[in-house]
Amino acid sequence: MQDLTQLLLNGLSTGAVYALFALGYTLVFSVLGVINFAHGAVFTLGAYFTYFLIGGAAGANGLLAGLQLPFALPFWLALPLAGLGAAAVALLIERTAFAPLRQRNADPLLALITSLGAGVVLVNLIQLLVGAESYAIPTGALAGLPAAVRIGGAQVRSVQLLLLLVAAVLLTLLTLWIDGTRSGKGLRAVSEDPTTARLLGIPSDRMIQIAFGLSGFLAGIAGGLVGLSVSIAGPYFGIGYGLKGLGVLVLGGLGSVPGAVLGGLIIGLAEACVPADLSGYRDVVAYGFLFVVLLVRPQGLLGRVLPSKV
Amino acid sequence: MGWITWNHGARRWGGALLAGLSVGLVGCSGSDPQAQRPLNLQQGVPVGAVLALSGNANVYGQDQRVGLQLALAHLNQAGGIGGTPLRLAIEDSGSDDPGANAAMTLQINRGMLAVIGPTLSQQAFAADPIAQRRGVPVVAPSNTATGIPQIGHFISRVSAQSSVIAPLSIAKALQLQPSIRRAAVFYAQDDAYSTAETTIFQKALSAKGLKPVTVQRTQLADNDFQSQISATLALKPDLIVLSLQAVDGGNLVRQLRELGYRGTIVVGNGMNTPNIYPICQKYCDGLLIAQAYSPELNTPANRAFVSAFAANQAGNGRGPAIPPQLTAQAYTALQVVGEALQRLNAQRPLKGLTVAEARRGLMDAILAGSYQTPLGDIRFTPDGEVVQTNFFVAQVRMNPDGRSGRFALLP
Repeated sequence: MQDLTQLLLNGLSTGAVYALFALGYTLVFSVLGVINFAHGAVFTLGAYFTYFLIGGAAGANGLLAGLQLPFALPFWLALPLAGLGAAAVALLIERTAFAPLRQRNADPLLALITSLGAGVVLVNLIQLLVGAESYAIPTGALAGLPAAVRIGGAQVRSVQLLLLLVAAVLLTLLTLWIDGTRSGKGLRAVSEDPTTARLLGIPSDRMIQIAFGLSGFLAGIAGGLVGLSVSIAGPYFGIGYGLKGLGVLVLGGLGSVPGAVLGGLIIGLAEACVPADLSGYRDVVAYGFLFVVLLVRPQGLLGRVLPSKV
Repeated sequence: MGWITWNHGARRWGGALLAGLSVGLVGCSGSDPQAQRPLNLQQGVPVGAVLALSGNANVYGQDQRVGLQLALAHLNQAGGIGGTPLRLAIEDSGSDDPGANAAMTLQINRGMLAVIGPTLSQQAFAADPIAQRRGVPVVAPSNTATGIPQIGHFISRVSAQSSVIAPLSIAKALQLQPSIRRAAVFYAQDDAYSTAETTIFQKALSAKGLKPVTVQRTQLADNDFQSQISATLALKPDLIVLSLQAVDGGNLVRQLRELGYRGTIVVGNGMNTPNIYPICQKYCDGLLIAQAYSPELNTPANRAFVSAFAANQAGNGRGPAIPPQLTAQAYTALQVVGEALQRLNAQRPLKGLTVAEARRGLMDAILAGSYQTPLGDIRFTPDGEVVQTNFFVAQVRMNPDGRSGRFALLP
């Protein structure tokens, strides 16, 4: 029983990060039908924003060497602000990498390339400004909380529990917003059919911007929490999560919000189930599982089969 | 100060393309026409370095860059190579094999007489054969995996291999804590250094009658070890031995301690850098590590190096004032190349040589020399392995701020 609890906690806390990450992909995919490859860079930025807002100093190898903000916020305040900062960057990406193509009625697939370009620019900009070194959010950022807690005989780090909790709250709020508010329903309408939604008076462009903003906010929060949990391993540290997030997106079903959550948790649990002495192969297990599911159900677990248009 | 050019990883992809074309051309023609040209010393005597300045291993490259800068200044203040300054060009290899291959090829194509690097053993196994094929001396400042100098005649290293150093820390752990009975081992299965070092650690444990209760395999890019740690702690180890790099290793140490492990932790050479402090923070305290360098070594060469390092760091207003091993080894690597060039130039003036002749002569001079370095007195075996006599075991002592600390030498 203790082992099962430990396994569940391990899997859920890992899966929560994947779910948060994949939700950002999902929101953008649902309204534009393309994957925003700059999402990993926005996630990375969220971690750096959090680090600097709590009073961290830039290292020795960037143009901003030694730079430190004149104030230091507590982590609980820095995290949402970092999320807002990441949301602003995501909106900027929408304006520069997506909107111009949309206005010219370009093939949506081209946005894959422009978003990839935006991501590469962002990552290199981070490296130019603050160097490639690792940064760590001080362990004291969660002052007052124990380093780890025991639940049902299982031991889990407090930061992992916090991650799970924040992910659950954000996912709940997002679901409530989508299902229970006018703007949330507007987003769903645009994701169903942007042209019809526009004819019905729903501002599609605004909905797309909301999707990007929310996606950026979620990525920023996830980045800050992961940065606290495992440190920021340089400007490229979002890339690994980006790949895993793509897997989760496809597993859950492209464009499905509940699918992203389910996919994240399943991949997290699948990884946790890998025997400890084979843990170096957990990516193989996660992606192998994804492969098998897609063979049986190509639209993903909660995705819909789209009618083919002639 | 000497002349340094430094190119960031942004140029790596262009470099990779150039590298591919160059290798193709060289392969097609069957010779290296560039190396047959007379040596051009107008901009100084060219020496290259291939360091991991970005990616997961960037923490090592930064330490190494400081060492190279200090050695360059020292050599050029002493007159360079017969009055011609040494010119050092540093190329960022990233932290992967393709990056190292591209950076190594670029440095060779630029006509460098020798290359210092790459940072990681994994990268060395990929990039050193390129230098060997083209007859370019390589002095590895930080590769500790078995078999690096054996890649070929032109490959040498100043970093003692793991098999010499690693067992010392296991012996010290057992000396400090004789009651240790249950050891657990972690290593990154996709990294040459880690896999080589863990074999040596496990042999050392067996020699002491300790069979690991678990061997956990991770990957370099891993940073969340909750599952592996849960499984390991269930086996109640009282010694955990890590062969990991600084970022993943630092994260693992922190998570081990946060999840309640209080026993001894021995770490390998990959964590032999103060750059682990910001990652594992207060939890770095108490780590045991065997080292090939101690700032406390009382020799003229080391005292001069420690003073130069302190002055450099004070001038920058940042970082620790105690030089880390990687900085000392990088300093030593360039010192070896510089002194070998001085001897070669005295015997056969560089001005009259082709690039290929200078490279061959330099390799012979490197292997023939003995050197008084911050690491102590060193020389090389005929196949390029360093012969070093001073080794140490240190314990990390973190300061109360939890952000800085030192490797305290153990008696």
